[in-house]
Amino acid sequence: MLGEFDLEIPDSIEEALELLAADDAPAPLAGGTNMLVDMRAGGTRPERVVSLARLEGVRWIAERDGRIAVGGGTTVSDLLQDERIAEHGASLVGAARVFAGQMVRNTATVAGNVAYGSPAADLVPPLMALDAGVTLMSKSASRTVPLADYFTGYRQTVRKPDELIAEISWPKRGAGMADLFYKLARRKGDAITVTGVAVSLALAGGKCAGVRIALGAVAPVVMRARKAEAMLDGQAPDAALIEAAARQAAQECDPIDDVRASAEYRRHTVHMLVRRLVGQAVEHLR
Amino acid sequence: MTQQSPANVEFRQVGKALTRTDAPGKTTGRTPYAGDYAMPGMLHAKVLRAPAASARLKRIDASKARALEGVACVLTGPDLPDRLAPTDIPGQTGQKRMDTGQPILVRDRVRYFGEPLALIAAETRDIAEKAMELIDYELEPVPGVYDPEAALRPGAPIVQGKDNVVASQKMRKGDIGKGFAAADLIVESTYTSQFIEHAFLEPEVGLAWVDENEVINIRVATQVIEHFRGIADAIGVPHNKVRIRGAMVGGGFGGKEDVTVETYLAVLAKHTMRPVRLEFTREDSFLGHGKRHPFRMTYKTGVKKDGTITALEVRMLADAGAYVFLSPYVLLYAAVAAPGPYRVDNLFVDGKAVATNNMFTSAFRGFGGAQACIAYEQQMDEVAAALGMDRIEFRRRNYLKTGEMLATGVPIQSAVWTEECVDRAMAALGAPSEAPHPAARIGRGVAAYQQSYGRITWLHDTSECWVGVEVDGTVVVRSGVTDIGAGQISALGQIAAELLGVGLDDVVIYNSDSAVTPLAGTTTATRALYMTGNACRMAAATLRERLVERAAASFGVAPGDVDMAGNRAFVIGRPDTSMPFVDLVKLCAADGVHRSELAIFRAPFTDPIDPETGQGQVHPDYTYGAHAVEVAVDIETGEVTVLKSIGAHDVGQAINPAAVEGQIEGGAAQGQGYALSEEMLYEEGRLVTPSFSEYLMPTSMDMPLVQSIILESRSGLGPFGAKGIGEPSLTPVAPAIANAVADAIGTRVFELPITPERVVNAIGEKQGVQT
Repeated sequence: MLGEFDLEIPDSIEEALELLAADDAPAPLAGGTNMLVDMRAGGTRPERVVSLARLEGVRWIAERDGRIAVGGGTTVSDLLQDERIAEHGASLVGAARVFAGQMVRNTATVAGNVAYGSPAADLVPPLMALDAGVTLMSKSASRTVPLADYFTGYRQTVRKPDELIAEISWPKRGAGMADLFYKLARRKGDAITVTGVAVSLALAGGKCAGVRIALGAVAPVVMRARKAEAMLDGQAPDAALIEAAARQAAQECDPIDDVRASAEYRRHTVHMLVRRLVGQAVEHLR
Repeated sequence: MTQQSPANVEFRQVGKALTRTDAPGKTTGRTPYAGDYAMPGMLHAKVLRAPAASARLKRIDASKARALEGVACVLTGPDLPDRLAPTDIPGQTGQKRMDTGQPILVRDRVRYFGEPLALIAAETRDIAEKAMELIDYELEPVPGVYDPEAALRPGAPIVQGKDNVVASQKMRKGDIGKGFAAADLIVESTYTSQFIEHAFLEPEVGLAWVDENEVINIRVATQVIEHFRGIADAIGVPHNKVRIRGAMVGGGFGGKEDVTVETYLAVLAKHTMRPVRLEFTREDSFLGHGKRHPFRMTYKTGVKKDGTITALEVRMLADAGAYVFLSPYVLLYAAVAAPGPYRVDNLFVDGKAVATNNMFTSAFRGFGGAQACIAYEQQMDEVAAALGMDRIEFRRRNYLKTGEMLATGVPIQSAVWTEECVDRAMAALGAPSEAPHPAARIGRGVAAYQQSYGRITWLHDTSECWVGVEVDGTVVVRSGVTDIGAGQISALGQIAAELLGVGLDDVVIYNSDSAVTPLAGTTTATRALYMTGNACRMAAATLRERLVERAAASFGVAPGDVDMAGNRAFVIGRPDTSMPFVDLVKLCAADGVHRSELAIFRAPFTDPIDPETGQGQVHPDYTYGAHAVEVAVDIETGEVTVLKSIGAHDVGQAINPAAVEGQIEGGAAQGQGYALSEEMLYEEGRLVTPSFSEYLMPTSMDMPLVQSIILESRSGLGPFGAKGIGEPSLTPVAPAIANAVADAIGTRVFELPITPERVVNAIGEKQGVQT
């Protein structure tokens, strides 16, 4: 049962931010595909909810200042229909394609997927590997936080109760860069991720550059395997190095046992998938 | 794709993929399901469930809940008569096993997680939910037992009664000692299967009211309208004071075979004298009906170098959960199915169903036969590999053939086309697929099966159907049969239309009312078409005789010279000598010819089998067939992708081939979930997969295009030689997938579901052994 709550439905972002600034810290509701399920299961019981469904001018995708930006109301489905995303966020498109099922993709928002703070959020590893930043807006201020610093613990984020995600943006990608994502789950549609891996890297003069390895569902937060990245950066990637970096990534993660898989299996698949995706990226760029 | 053979019989209505009578209503949304009904002044009910698997109810106090405004009634165990609700096999015989009952509400002891503590009826669902939270109770934990092997150990907590053995089943044939002595090779393995959920689209729902004759009417989604007797017994009213009115059912699969919401509705309606509606949420549904029995099956097969099976020893252990329900029968089916569609002269089967404080287990499509197939078909592949013999060739040397004896010592009634089905399914796999990526390995698997249709023959099963012709030439069929989505009633329409020479559009069918439609028995056990189809055929054939006789009199020919088709009666070979069907019916009406007929079909009636040997007749007949699959296994992550899925079944005669394909496709999907992803997981009896985000059925993204190959031996005991396909289409799917995965990775996962993790572990163990 969903429980009782007051529902506010503002039309503008200003009105929404005004409502969120109230002392009782109402819960913002975007697509609702996580939150309503959680509320129905009794996990969250907000007394007041601010629906973002009718906000004007928040659902957009833009290219500006060398960056690709998506508005806070942009849905997962929107990502699949935009050429700029396809060109500058292949891994994000890959994640959007295997994100839940069609009905959820049509209503879930990119910002909501980030804001909810789930370690299994499928859009977060590719966005993190793309060096995305999150712009948070409150009634009185606006700030941009690197996505890699956004999560502070299991479903804990730096977002303050009066802030909304206004946009998420990342630097445009160029030639010689590859972005890959793989979602490992117990089935192919509508499944919660067991292990998610995103890899972004460039190959310059036969050497890896800007290596980003982001891991989903294998730690309390989506995380970067920074030591593994460092092993590859500036090096000419051969099979032995890739294998060593993949093993390192498996070392760095911190998975748990749950009904979907054991920690041991998750670690194994981080090893396998990092090796596979880095290998594919390098092969693709050579 | 459909392949039919032989193609030597001409039908006009039967055997055609006609648009089903239930299709327009369902596609336009006009068909009301049980949950769509409402009445003025209706109350809304909820069930309070125990959040513990093994506990003593020390105290329950509903006074606060009762005092809440808008609450009409709160019932707890002590408020109900001290009676048990029967959980035994439903039916017309009135037979009832001892000690199988369950209190309607917990009186003192909670035996499984979610066992009902209280019933609430209120003006709105919200009020009922609030009232639930106001019921004060205290549960004292009692040591429970959660594993069937542990439940058998001395000193284990006893769930109920004197010990935890709910049922035992033996099969004895020949001499396995001699059989194993004659073997060149002996293979032994243990296979396990898991709890699974029916996961029908429509959760349990119903609406009850007491009418002016003090009859408790219950509109409900059920496979079995004849539970009215057990419900009446449980609440202490005469059988004719409970009436079940069914509705189109949004999926059953055995999960609506037992009583679900009916008894709760009946007591609440009787108590309040107001209409009461109860709809299970998905969470209620997961906790509210029995699951499929997990089985642990140890198979030991003796075989000669030439591939002849010399002995088979099988030990089965099933988790019955906290109440008996249909466990003894599921175990019986598993034991009878144990040798599969193979000739085994020396057979030993020992099975036990054991009580635990897990969720109770009961009917699920395949009913023990499916679990047995998981074991025997994996064992066949293992034995073939040990012999170094081709898997199909090894099976070929051991198939039961038409005219041979079953392992229970009785002759098979119909054609056995196992070999044809296996060969066709394997051939349809075609050229092997390319591995989709470097870490992928392609594998193929097949499973054959023998699965009963029709109920246990000592239940003395019967089914009734009424067929009548209106004066305008339209046809009415009445039968209590419940349609659970497989086209049960539309098939009756095709049968009546065939015999009366009219179109399916000319037939209207009334069904599923325990008071006003002739009782047809359950829609379970793959029996609806076999039983009610035969009753319909008999009624329509009798009517046809009368009509033909009247037409023959008009035409001045012998009745044997008259046929009816295309809404006309005519002289065979002289199409000019004819009359419209409607004119013939009017002639009959004018003469007072009886224009309707009620027929009863009786399945074979036998005595129970010998309990020491299992010898004797158990079922009317069996369906034979096979399922073949091709999979790609990612050997690094363990993910399994089903690339091809092909069912080939001898259905005897397809009444509606599109409906048969529907069953084969549905069986392929449900079987794939059984093999790869579905599992109800319990920790100390507590369900830890309480929603569809943990309980994973295949989605459209997981399913390949399923190919259906329909073979028609026209040898079955159903109408026009039909066999049954509802359960059989599921049975071979999971073992076929298990065999394909084993083929791909060169080792076997012995536990279902075959999760990516188990695949990785099996590969790891194999590599560990090799290095």
